[in-house]
Amino acid sequence: MAFNFNWSPLTADADFYSRARDLLTKALNKSPKPPIIVDDILVDELNLGNVPPDLEILEIGDLAEDRFRGIFKMTYSGDAYLTLKTRVQANPLNTYLHSKPSFTSPKPLAAASSLTIPISITLSEIKLSAFIILVFSKQKGLTLVFRNDPLESLKVSSTFDSIQFVRDYLQRTIEQKLRDLMMNELPAIIHRLSLQLWCPDQANKPGEYPADEVDEKGVDPFISPPDDPVDANGNLLDANALSELTLQGAGDAQSLFSQKNLLRLAALTDSHRTLSLFTPGIRDVVFRAWTGHGDRSEAMTPAMAPPSLSRTHSLPTGTSTTYTFSDTSSATQGYLPSRSASQINLNSTSPGRAVGTSSRSRPGRKKKTRVVNLRRSKSQVDSPIETETESETGSDTISEGPFSEPLMTSSIPEMEDEDDLVESLASKLHFTNEEKKSAAPTNQSPLSQPPLVPGPSEHTSSIAKALEDASKKLSVDTGLPKRPQAKHESSSDSSSVILEQAWIMKMAGEIARRVYDEKNRQNNNSNNNPSGGVWEEQEAPPTYEAAIH
Amino acid sequence: MREFMDYVHSAFYEATGWNRDNSYAALNSTPDALLEFPTPRGLRLTLSSLSSPNFATSYELGSVGVVDGSISYLYSSVPLRVAIESRSERISLPSLLRAYRPLAPLTELKSKTSALTGGQDVAKSSLLYGRLYLPQSLLEALVVKRISPALQVQFSAVSGAHLRNGGTTVGLAQYDVGRYALEGLASSDGGLLGFRGVYNFGGDAEPPKVAAPAENGNHPERERIYGRFSTGGEIYYGTLNKSGGISLGARFATLPSHKGTPLAATLTVNPLMGTISANYAVVAGKHCSLATRMEFNVFSYESSWAVGTELWRKPLPRLVDDNYGLPKRSLESKLKWKLDDPEPIKTPKDGDPEEYAGVLKARMDQNLQIGVLWEGRIKSLLFSLGSGIDLRKTDKPFRTLGLEIQFSS
Repeated sequence: MAFNFNWSPLTADADFYSRARDLLTKALNKSPKPPIIVDDILVDELNLGNVPPDLEILEIGDLAEDRFRGIFKMTYSGDAYLTLKTRVQANPLNTYLHSKPSFTSPKPLAAASSLTIPISITLSEIKLSAFIILVFSKQKGLTLVFRNDPLESLKVSSTFDSIQFVRDYLQRTIEQKLRDLMMNELPAIIHRLSLQLWCPDQANKPGEYPADEVDEKGVDPFISPPDDPVDANGNLLDANALSELTLQGAGDAQSLFSQKNLLRLAALTDSHRTLSLFTPGIRDVVFRAWTGHGDRSEAMTPAMAPPSLSRTHSLPTGTSTTYTFSDTSSATQGYLPSRSASQINLNSTSPGRAVGTSSRSRPGRKKKTRVVNLRRSKSQVDSPIETETESETGSDTISEGPFSEPLMTSSIPEMEDEDDLVESLASKLHFTNEEKKSAAPTNQSPLSQPPLVPGPSEHTSSIAKALEDASKKLSVDTGLPKRPQAKHESSSDSSSVILEQAWIMKMAGEIARRVYDEKNRQNNNSNNNPSGGVWEEQEAPPTYEAAIH
Repeated sequence: MREFMDYVHSAFYEATGWNRDNSYAALNSTPDALLEFPTPRGLRLTLSSLSSPNFATSYELGSVGVVDGSISYLYSSVPLRVAIESRSERISLPSLLRAYRPLAPLTELKSKTSALTGGQDVAKSSLLYGRLYLPQSLLEALVVKRISPALQVQFSAVSGAHLRNGGTTVGLAQYDVGRYALEGLASSDGGLLGFRGVYNFGGDAEPPKVAAPAENGNHPERERIYGRFSTGGEIYYGTLNKSGGISLGARFATLPSHKGTPLAATLTVNPLMGTISANYAVVAGKHCSLATRMEFNVFSYESSWAVGTELWRKPLPRLVDDNYGLPKRSLESKLKWKLDDPEPIKTPKDGDPEEYAGVLKARMDQNLQIGVLWEGRIKSLLFSLGSGIDLRKTDKPFRTLGLEIQFSS
């Protein structure tokens, strides 16, 4: 995902600059200054430049109209600059005597005579690289915390550039001060600004509140940062959930999520376990369950195909991203996010799922993908993740590609005992790559192969073809139960043809609707997110081709 | 007001024949006393005593919002009672308070006549001084040891919790042969090393044999301006923080034997920082001294000035009934049918010229900051009333206000 910063209106606002200057001046003069700086530090010029920072989403903890919570990676190497004016004491002996007791002073006659020099310091070539934790709510304003020291490098140019000693001292001192500013003052400044913007009534409250906020945000993430989400294979989302919980405090965890959604997700996971026929309707979400061995995989396959297809468009963004939805339900209900447990769940719930999917096809309900794996990777590697993400139903954590790489490797050994499942999954999964393609003919019926080969370059046509393929495949799969995987799924063979026909009809209708939804979503995407267009342009047909059997 | 311990300390130097002013650090002492005298803050009471000829104690109680105080002890190996008058009702005010001090004769001349206590005692004389500031638990310690008639070692230390490394120490070695004086110092804070020296010429620094005929030859010129030139320099280097400082200075001051107006002029230059400072102090009248300072920085074009003055005040004329109103005629005059002569009545008034009731000091600098100090004696109490005034802040001009009361026995 990417952001398009509207950088110029921010910088064109003269009022913004004056306000920022005032706040910076206050912040710089708050702490006691070293004796070498003998006057107030005035912010003379402030320019944010034309180059916006690069922001990368690592994780989104909560997303709603009035609140947002996420972790970003920000890198900045733009042309912003800042000019400070102050007066410094140029005589080192004078500053040396400044804080010394007079009794042991060497009492120099004139060697300590002061020489104060007005100095203008320009900070430029600021390079930042930071992990940012951003929490926004309309009630509490915006809180921004740096997880690490954001300042990478900085060029301090001053009137003392020719004097090595003073220049080094200034560089050192200013870097130190700027680090303090970034870590401690900037969150407070941003919070105050956001309060002024969104809730002016709160902005007038005593300054204790922002300080408190800063303290909470500044300390908690460091105490228990979401440890590399990579290490934990089965506990990937668990760790994130934990970190989110610690970030907000256990009490706040509930309020961060919509209660309605929580209930629905709880009902959904309950339906997994209880063979309940009821599937709660969750907006903009498509629920997908995996059938295990001996389940009606054929029936499931078409149901799965459209969501995965719809998501493959975003693959070409380059970063393979695993979207896994929240494990809030698991957190609230003590759900075990381990793979084995989820596997059991899936196996046991698959009959219920079959009905559930059919019930989902009733019209008027908008469905979007809820569990999506955008990883461009091998199918064997991919499928366990798929199952894993499936197991974490209800967690809405987005982990970035690099983070999930080790996840794959760690999950590979585990899938060995589930080879059969993997095989069946791989055949049903639609994120396969060339390797999968080569393997596909052996697994697939030859009928499904031909429509696959022409890789659709355009998005809409690809969707249409996917639909076509899927429907074809549906018929083929149901008609040809001699698939290698079918030996595990003998129960599907026993299903009556009539039922299957009805099922096919329903599924076809649903797929058509889904494609429509997908188009809508794409449009929305391109409207809301300007970079959506980029994704469409950069579609990677190979992934897509392999996806459709 | 000079603290009692400082007064005793200088008495020690006086008793051992050490010229405290023959040092580069003291080159500016006369103008500094007129231009940078401290004004008291809050109420401060000092009770001091030279309880034995070798031992002095001082207790101080102060209050600037919070009550604080200090206890100090001083031990001297040479008896000090012969050198000073310690009782506050009989202390000579000019010796305690006077800002403008004429040059003391150089040590080499003095050493010939030997010090008050004799050469052997002087060579081994030492002074120990300690002071404890009570609420802050700050401890000051000073050891002065005279090694030879020309060499003296000082070691001072401050210990306090708020200081870095718990405290600092400074060692100072002074070598004074009259014509020139050298000092080397080392400080534990920042590893500061310093060296300074002063060289005297002209006036009494010249050998008397040469000076005597010249004086006879150019008598009118000598009469017009007769004084001593001193020139010197200092250099400091902080071994730990790699910083340093340097300055050069020269002074011309008239000697006490000069018949004309006593004056002292100093010029100091800091070549590294480009600061030039010129000080001038003059005894303008019998009871008045003036001092000015001009500073200019050739790098930053910053300049500053300061003026200071001290006015000695005689005690208010005692209202003696005999001398006031219509003088009583003596029987003789009555018999002769004429008035007495007024002259014999006036003469007792002018009797003691050293008798002063107090001194008023004032200074002002380019920031319109004014310091006013009134020091004097009421019966046996020495008092010092002062205030710092900032004319720039018209709404609240009085920055500090203080009263010090000192009693010593």
